Amino acid sequence: MKGLILVLLGALAAGTAAVHVEGLRGGSAPGYHLLYLPSGRSLKALTLGYEGLAADLIYIWSIQYYSNYQIQDRYDYLDQIYRRVIAELDPHFLDPYLVGSMIMSVEANRDDLALKLLDTGTRNNPHEWILPFQAGFLCYNKLHDYACAKDYFQRAQAVPGAPAPVRRLYAEMYNRLGDKRTSLRYWAEIHDTADTDYVRQVSWMHVHDLKIEVDLDDLNAIVRRYHEEHGAPPAGLQALVRAGLLESVPLDPDGNPYTLSPDGATVRSQARRLLQGR
Amino acid sequence: MTRIWAIASNTFREAIRDRILYLLLVFALLFMGFSQILSLLTVGGEEKIIKDVGLACISLFGVLTSVFIGVALVSKEIERRTIYTIVSKPIHRYEFLLGKYFGLVLTLFVNTSVMTAWYYLILFLKGFADPRLLLAIGLIFMELLLITAFAILFSSFSTPILSTLFSLSLYLVGHLTWSLNLLQERLKGAGGRAICRFLYFALPNLEIFNVKAEVVHQLPIPATLPLWALLYLVGYGGAVLAAACLILRRRDFT
Amino acid sequence: MAPVLEVEHLARSYRANLSLKKYWILRDLSFTVERGEIFGFIGPNGAGKTTTIKLIMDLVHPDAGAIRILGEPHQSVAVKKRLGFLPENPYFYDYLTAEEFLDFYGRLFGFSREERRKKTTAMLERVGLANRRDRQLRKFSKGMLQRLGLAQALLNEPEFVILDEPMSGLDPVGRREVRDIILSLKAAGRTVFFSTHILSDTELICDRVGILSKGELKAVGSVSDLLGHQVSHWEVAFSGIDPGSLPGILAVVSREGSETLATSRDEESMKGLVRAILERGGSLHSVIPQRASLEDIFLREIGR
Repeated sequence: MKGLILVLLGALAAGTAAVHVEGLRGGSAPGYHLLYLPSGRSLKALTLGYEGLAADLIYIWSIQYYSNYQIQDRYDYLDQIYRRVIAELDPHFLDPYLVGSMIMSVEANRDDLALKLLDTGTRNNPHEWILPFQAGFLCYNKLHDYACAKDYFQRAQAVPGAPAPVRRLYAEMYNRLGDKRTSLRYWAEIHDTADTDYVRQVSWMHVHDLKIEVDLDDLNAIVRRYHEEHGAPPAGLQALVRAGLLESVPLDPDGNPYTLSPDGATVRSQARRLLQGR
Repeated sequence: MTRIWAIASNTFREAIRDRILYLLLVFALLFMGFSQILSLLTVGGEEKIIKDVGLACISLFGVLTSVFIGVALVSKEIERRTIYTIVSKPIHRYEFLLGKYFGLVLTLFVNTSVMTAWYYLILFLKGFADPRLLLAIGLIFMELLLITAFAILFSSFSTPILSTLFSLSLYLVGHLTWSLNLLQERLKGAGGRAICRFLYFALPNLEIFNVKAEVVHQLPIPATLPLWALLYLVGYGGAVLAAACLILRRRDFT
Repeated sequence: MAPVLEVEHLARSYRANLSLKKYWILRDLSFTVERGEIFGFIGPNGAGKTTTIKLIMDLVHPDAGAIRILGEPHQSVAVKKRLGFLPENPYFYDYLTAEEFLDFYGRLFGFSREERRKKTTAMLERVGLANRRDRQLRKFSKGMLQRLGLAQALLNEPEFVILDEPMSGLDPVGRREVRDIILSLKAAGRTVFFSTHILSDTELICDRVGILSKGELKAVGSVSDLLGHQVSHWEVAFSGIDPGSLPGILAVVSREGSETLATSRDEESMKGLVRAILERGGSLHSVIPQRASLEDIFLREIGR
């Protein structure tokens, strides 16, 4: 009987202490010491050949940690956890790069860290298209930095096995950057090598619209040249042909000829743009 | 040969009748089941996590079995004096030692097979089965054989507690020999570098048997690696066992 | 016939931990055991008997000296086929059954499965454990373990049997059984060497004994040689006369009522005592010559 009472008292005391200590530590997430992990090789040494497993466990912990909205300053160690710990332990573990960069960009608003993380991932896994793609998409969709996006998409679409839409985005980035000519070239390639109707249709729409704009640019340049050479704008596009600056009046992709505006300043096309919002 | 087998099968029988073994095995199987829970907590990476946990279980519990049983193999016989009536029979002491070793090897084989079968069942049901995992497990098994040889070596002259410490330390060191190469790069003096180089080759390099990362990430493994690993095991393990035989031969069973 | 065991100038020392001082357990021990005899190796605890046996069985390495068994160097594995050995307070694998236990040793000898089966059954019968063959050793009593130990020692029908304190811890019945087994071995032409500190057993069955004390062989020879044929004293039992007045009494052993048991130093004084008893009208009950017992010899030798 006495023994039983002792056991119960002991359990009560221990339980009370445990609950209070938890309160003292101030609501940090369990395992918060992981925030202070050494990084790199020293950590690898600690795991004695079980780095993959260690990376898994730390990753799982990080998911719990970062989905706990009660922790105020939880974003302070994003770079440490994902790039300098998990990526060092298991460079080929893809999910942390993807999920980590999403947390960094979407939740913590640290796109610089996200890109750094994805760069590390790409460097460690040159045969994975999704990492540079995710980086490119971040630049494109959130930062609207089309030059950055273009470089990433180029990297991504060059990886064997990259899905076709990556190349399409790559082509489109040139357009966003204003380099319609290159964009057109790539879109034309996509169209010529299309193996499904869908791709053929989509790429045609881009080729169509881009061709018009490229043509318009070219034609407008020729009109301006005519103006400089002859002191007056041409009467019509025929005048350019007569002046020897054009072989013939070119047709737009719909098959209709381009026309010159009445004031002779701009070339126009009656073709309807296929893509909205251009 | 039959004498070695007689000792080996007896050692196996002793291990099988020892309840500690079942405890370890049950824990290992539970842990692998635990990996299912882990995959609930994660975003992505489920396949990798289950594979990593399974391989780690097989490896870790194998090491624990190998060390905890191995370090007592010889010393317990000497301490309990059961060895008297055996060594007085027409058997060489080295045959006794090899018999003990292979008995434990057989035990480890059965253990590992049970864990592998359970592991494969889990993976198969989830659609993650990959025959290359067997290669990783095969190499893990080779690592266990080398660790067991060391455990027996220590057992032939030391007490179980010290032998356990030695063996576990050796396991630690065996997975850290790569750091000697790093150290070597940083050192200035030729003497220090030579020592590093020497230690790197002298100490057992257990990372040779570690292809867990390659198998889980579908990375290539050189086709000759398993053969070289086998040669390493036979060479290094053979030398360690030979040393153990020599030590046992000169031992006085007072 | 060549001796079965030859021990020559055997020496064994040990060093206490980390000290430089050597303690000699055995110094310059030499003796032989002849074929067909039962040799008793006796001495007080700590004399070095077990060490000697361990040296013979190659469990321990000597500092100096040579041992030959059946003409071969004692470490020869081949010669162990013809030996049987039972250590003191033996420990066996307690997770085995009696049958598995003997079968295991049978395999060490290289017996075929059929041979093992036959010999195991025969041995279990011989030591009276036939009905325990399926019981695990951890459930055996000490007496049963000792008997099983004998079974493994005799499994290969050895020419030479070495037993270290085979009777220790046994009750009188057990001791009698072991004595009988040893005698039956001799009857079958085998040689037996055993150590003990119980003298009565040795006196009964040994052909020769060696007395070991503090690592040295104080005496060795046949029992009758050692005891001599001399009468050491006489015991006279009588009644009816007060011993105080009688001549020739060396000592009074006991007095109960009018019955007295006294001793006389030699034949002369004994005769004087008997004559006096008869002359004074007392009753003479018995006159018994006492030879030196082995215990007397033993105590004398180890005191030297």
